[in-house]
Parts: sequence; structure tokens; C-alpha cells
Amino acid sequence: MIEVKNLSYRYPGSKIPALRDICIQVPQEHFFAILGQSGSGKTTLLNCIARFLKPKSGSITINGKNITKMERKEFRSQLGVVFQKLNLFPHLTVTQNLTLAPLKALEKSEEETKKEADEMLNRLSIGELANRYPSQISGGQAQRVAIARALMLQPKYMLLDEPTSALDAQTTEEFAGWLKELQEDTCFIIVTHDLPFASMAASHGIIMEDGVVKSSGSIQQIIEETSGGTE
Amino acid sequence: MNKQLFRNILIPILAILACIITAGGSYAADETGNPKPLRVALTGKYPPFSFYDQSGKLAGFDVDVSKEIARRLKRPVKIITTEWDGILAGLLADKYDAIIGSMAVTPERKQAVSFSAPYYQSGAQLFIHRDNPSKVYSIKECNGKKVAAVLGETYQHFLENNFPGIEVVTLKSSVEIFELLQNKRITGFVTDKLVGAWQIKSAGRPFVTVGPMLYAEDIAIPVKKQNTKLLAQINEALAEMHQDGTMGKIHDRYFGLSSSDSSGIKSEMTTGIIAIKLLKGFLTTIAIALASLILGFIFAVPCGLILNTSSGGWKVLYWPIRTIVDFIRGTPVLIQLLFAWMGLGLSPYIAAIGTLGINSMAYMAEVIRSGLMSVDRGQTRSGQALGLSRYQTFRYVVWPQAFRVAIPPLMNSVVALTKDTALVAVISVAEVIREAQAIISVNFEPTKYYFIVAAMFFIVTFPLMKLAGRLEKKIRAKGFVQ
Repeated sequence: MIEVKNLSYRYPGSKIPALRDICIQVPQEHFFAILGQSGSGKTTLLNCIARFLKPKSGSITINGKNITKMERKEFRSQLGVVFQKLNLFPHLTVTQNLTLAPLKALEKSEEETKKEADEMLNRLSIGELANRYPSQISGGQAQRVAIARALMLQPKYMLLDEPTSALDAQTTEEFAGWLKELQEDTCFIIVTHDLPFASMAASHGIIMEDGVVKSSGSIQQIIEETSGGTE
Repeated sequence: MNKQLFRNILIPILAILACIITAGGSYAADETGNPKPLRVALTGKYPPFSFYDQSGKLAGFDVDVSKEIARRLKRPVKIITTEWDGILAGLLADKYDAIIGSMAVTPERKQAVSFSAPYYQSGAQLFIHRDNPSKVYSIKECNGKKVAAVLGETYQHFLENNFPGIEVVTLKSSVEIFELLQNKRITGFVTDKLVGAWQIKSAGRPFVTVGPMLYAEDIAIPVKKQNTKLLAQINEALAEMHQDGTMGKIHDRYFGLSSSDSSGIKSEMTTGIIAIKLLKGFLTTIAIALASLILGFIFAVPCGLILNTSSGGWKVLYWPIRTIVDFIRGTPVLIQLLFAWMGLGLSPYIAAIGTLGINSMAYMAEVIRSGLMSVDRGQTRSGQALGLSRYQTFRYVVWPQAFRVAIPPLMNSVVALTKDTALVAVISVAEVIREAQAIISVNFEPTKYYFIVAAMFFIVTFPLMKLAGRLEKKIRAKGFVQ
């Protein structure tokens, strides 16, 4: 379980805190959505959980262990991140994108890693992309490759930042179904402003506004609350 | 710092530094036991006083006088050829002991150095084209016309001070001046009477003298003011040479009336000698370029990295490196070369490689910095999110992308630096252009030899430029740059 307790964050030079007293709990069996308009603080929260920002107060734990106390490798084996811009490595093929981290960070053997990468690509139905470069594949395919790359480290949790921003409505629906299939081994936490996508993919979530959690609970519950509030 | 980084970058840097330091040391050291050689400077491009003969060896009146003086001083002679406009500065910087290069005694020069007794008298003479298209019959009629002299020679100052109406054209060597007059692009030139006469006699140049000698001047040997002992020895040797007729014999060898007197010395070089000289010069050029590039690149990578960082422990180095890079890029390479050679007292080759190396470092560091900047910051973040260390993220994610983007401009730096090696002739390095000028001073075909040199450069730079173009296309195809 990921647990965020009384987390506050203020950007250097800013007077207004970006996050105030955030408390959330994400059990591993949930498919969790962090919802909110742009500027609500959801990406700041993602960056804190991913250790890209260091909060001054509050704590974030994974299975009871504070993330600031974890070794780099231990932390990354717990938590994967896929950015909104995906950031595939343009100088490497799809396979090489997948194998780089296991080879260098985990120091796995080349043979084993190559086999795992092939299996991963086939499992995610993108085996035919193996030898292409990122510039030679579509936005939807790139999205899947980025997720495959993060899954290679077999993280328990995976943060996805605005995963549907480059997808059209039909692809979004396919993508939601595809993600759900992967949920068995990995707990996804999606950061999105796309309510329809969240309702298709997620089981639970929170809605953020001005740096605080406005509501939390099951996805249906919080979406209804929001619609109720605005109507 | 990461151990691998240390192994891959720092150790080669230290090795090269060690080489430079030891090379500098061995240059400065004198062999013990044997008498120190008398180091004499001249241009090697002033026939018949100094030039390369048909076997490619230095010859000429000044060369023979130098050898004779050294013989009488019971010291071996070491002749250093260098450019005229920096020859006095080199003497003051202790690059050689004396200049035996037909230097006229002037009050200004006397303030800086001590002159020996004169070893011959020179006469300044105006030469014009024999067709005389400008219709001038004396120096006074040259008002408003172009008359040439070698930069820094007394003739230049004489013309400027006494004939302000004349447009004085200054060039780096007599060879270029002869060529200009032969093509009637100037009205005339002023030089030593014997030098001009040699051109008419030996090269068949279409020149004639006009009017009487403009003035006579004493030609003597300058040494550093502190070097009173050497000056006394040279004066003694000169006096003996005048007395026992040696000076007269040397004079007759080059300026004797009958051709049999100069039968032993033919100035025109054979094709084989020319080829060897040009090739040797070109190899020197390439060796200097290559050494400078390797040195430059090794330092450019860490410097480019530091220039691209805004935080972290390396930040303290940002301003020192920024200042060095800006200073190097903002000042002429020529001045830097002279400073390294005279100011820092480095040997010519070390000064050349050091200066060009630091120049290529400065330009390449900027190229590498912009290459690093072109890599999206998200790439670093992604590397970290995948559990790669900072070094691994740099080595496998950022650097390959930055380097590929930097390759075409790096190639341009390589081409520019290769061409810059032409400048090192100023600090007496015998690179290809200097060799070509020496050949031209006795073979009289500047267009041909300059063209050959240009072709030699092109043979090296053209494939580099092609390669740069091809790599750029490949990079674009892979989607690194939009």
C-alpha cells in the first residue's frame, strides 16, 4: 500500500503552497486515479511520490517504508513512472529502450533481458515494433512502449501522467481495457483530467482542487459527487 | 566522481599533461659536455641572403656568415627560420641568441637590442617593372602610387616618413612583392639593391632599377643587451673575417660578377626536393592539427558538461571555464600563438599544439554544450525513473544523443582548426605554407605552389566535410533533430 500522510509542498519562491495536507491510501489491488483540473496540484503530487520533488512536511510510505529511506534500486523496483511526454530514448530501438535499465541498473544478463523484452512486447501485442526507432512509431504505440519499458523493472506500483493526452476517443477506450488487463501484477495510479477515461479504467481515486483533496472514494462515487456539485 | 568516468577521461588528460610537461622540459634542457649551439634566426625567404638551395638545404650569404661565425666561436650552429615581423620579439624572448638576417641598424632597434659592427652595407633601391606602365622615372614621381615593402623592414619606415604621398603596400615577404610587380599590380618596390638584382639575374624577373640608391644602411647582427660577452665574440669574429678575406669570399660566392663564382650554388630546387619539403611541411601541419584536436576534444567534453550545468558540485568551475572559453574565442589565434611562444617561453611546437588545442577546446566545448542542451530534460528524468544512476543516465541516455547532434558542428571545428595551422609559421614552425613560401622564394611560381598547398588541405578537409554532411542526414533520419 502507498500511503501519503499530511503532505504539503511549496515551490521555491512561491507564496502559495502547491499541496496542502494531502492524505491518501492506495492499496495494491486498487486502480487509482488522481483527478483534477490543471493547476490543481495533481502533477506536483505525482512528482513527490516519484521522488522528483522533496516535500518539507508529511510522509510518503510504500508498504510502511518511507520512500526517502529507500535505496535507488529498491525504490525503482517498487515504483515505475511513465511521463506525459513518454520520453522514449530516440537513439535506441524499441527493444533497446526496454533492455537499457535491466541491463545497466539491475545488471541482468543480456540474453535474459532480451528474452524478457521480447516476451513483454508480445504480451502487450506490440512485438512487431521491436526493431523500430521511436520516431518510426505512432503516438498510441509509443504510449504502450513507454509502459512496457517501465514494466520491465516489474514495479509493484506504476504512475502514469496524463496517459490519454495523445489518444483519440476510440484509442482511449481500447487503452483503458488494455491497462486493466495488466492490472494483475501492477497497481496503476493514473494522473488525469480525463473523467471518462478514469471511469473506464480506475476503481478508486481522489479529486484535487487548489492543492487539497476535495473528495475521495470509489471512482463512481467521486465522479457522481463532482457532477452533483456542478449541476 | 564515478570510477569509470575517472578512468575514461581523467587518466588520458593527466597522461597528455605529463607528455607536454616532459616535452617542454627536454626542449629547455641543454646537452651537457658539448658546447651550446649558437642559435641564429633568419627568414629563409630572402634570396640570396637566405633561401633553400636545390637540395632543399638552407643557403645564402647570411647562412654562410652564420656558419663562419659559429665556427670561429667553436660552437655548433643552429639556424632557426622565422617570420620577419616577429623576429626581434623572438630574440628578446630568448628564442635564439642572434639574428643574422640582414638586419639594418636603426635608432629604434638600438634601443631594444645591441648591434655588432656592420658586416655589410646595404643600399635601398626602388625597382619598377621594365615596361614602366606608370611612367615613373624617380621615387618622387611615385606620389599617389602603390610602392611595396616587407612589413617591418626599414624600407617601409623610410617610405612612410619621407614620402607620405606614396601609398605604401606592406606584405609579409619579398616573394609576394615580386609577384605583385611582375603582374603590374604595383608601381614598384623598395628593397636591398642586391636582393632586387638577384631576382633580375637569377629569376629573370622583368624589373629595372630607377634612380640612384635611396640611402645606404649598415647591416649588423643584433643580440640581447645583456649578452655583452657574445657581442664581443661576434665582433671579434667579424673583424677577423674582414681581415683575412673570408667575408669577401662569401660575398663573391653570391654577388660575384662572373657566373663561375656562384657555380656551386644553384637556388632552384629539384622537383624531388620540392615534393619532400611540401610533404614534410604538410605532415607537420597534420600532426599539429591532430595533436591539437585530440587535446582539445579531451578537455572539451568536461568543459562542455560544466558549461551546461547550473547546479551541483561542479558549479564552482562554471565561471572560470566560461571566462577561458569566451576569452579564447574572442581573441585572435595569432596573438595567442605569439603569447604562448614568447610570453610563456614554450617551444614552437608545444606553443602551437597548446594554443590550437585550447582553441579547439573552446569551440568544441560550446558545440558540446549546445549538443547537451538540445537533449530534452525529460530524458534525464526518464533515465532516473528507470533506476539508472546519474552517470548511467548521462552515459547511455544523454551523451549519445548530444554527441550525435554535435557531430556535424564538431566536424566543422576540425576543418577550421586544420586551416588555422597555417598561422603557426609565425612562431617558426615549418608547416606547409612556410615551406611553400620558401620554395617560391627560389622557384618563382607562387600560383602553382599555393595551388598545390590548397589542394593538399582540400584533400584532407573535403572528406571531413562530406562525412559531416552524411552524418547530419543520418541524424535527421533517425529523428534526433527536427
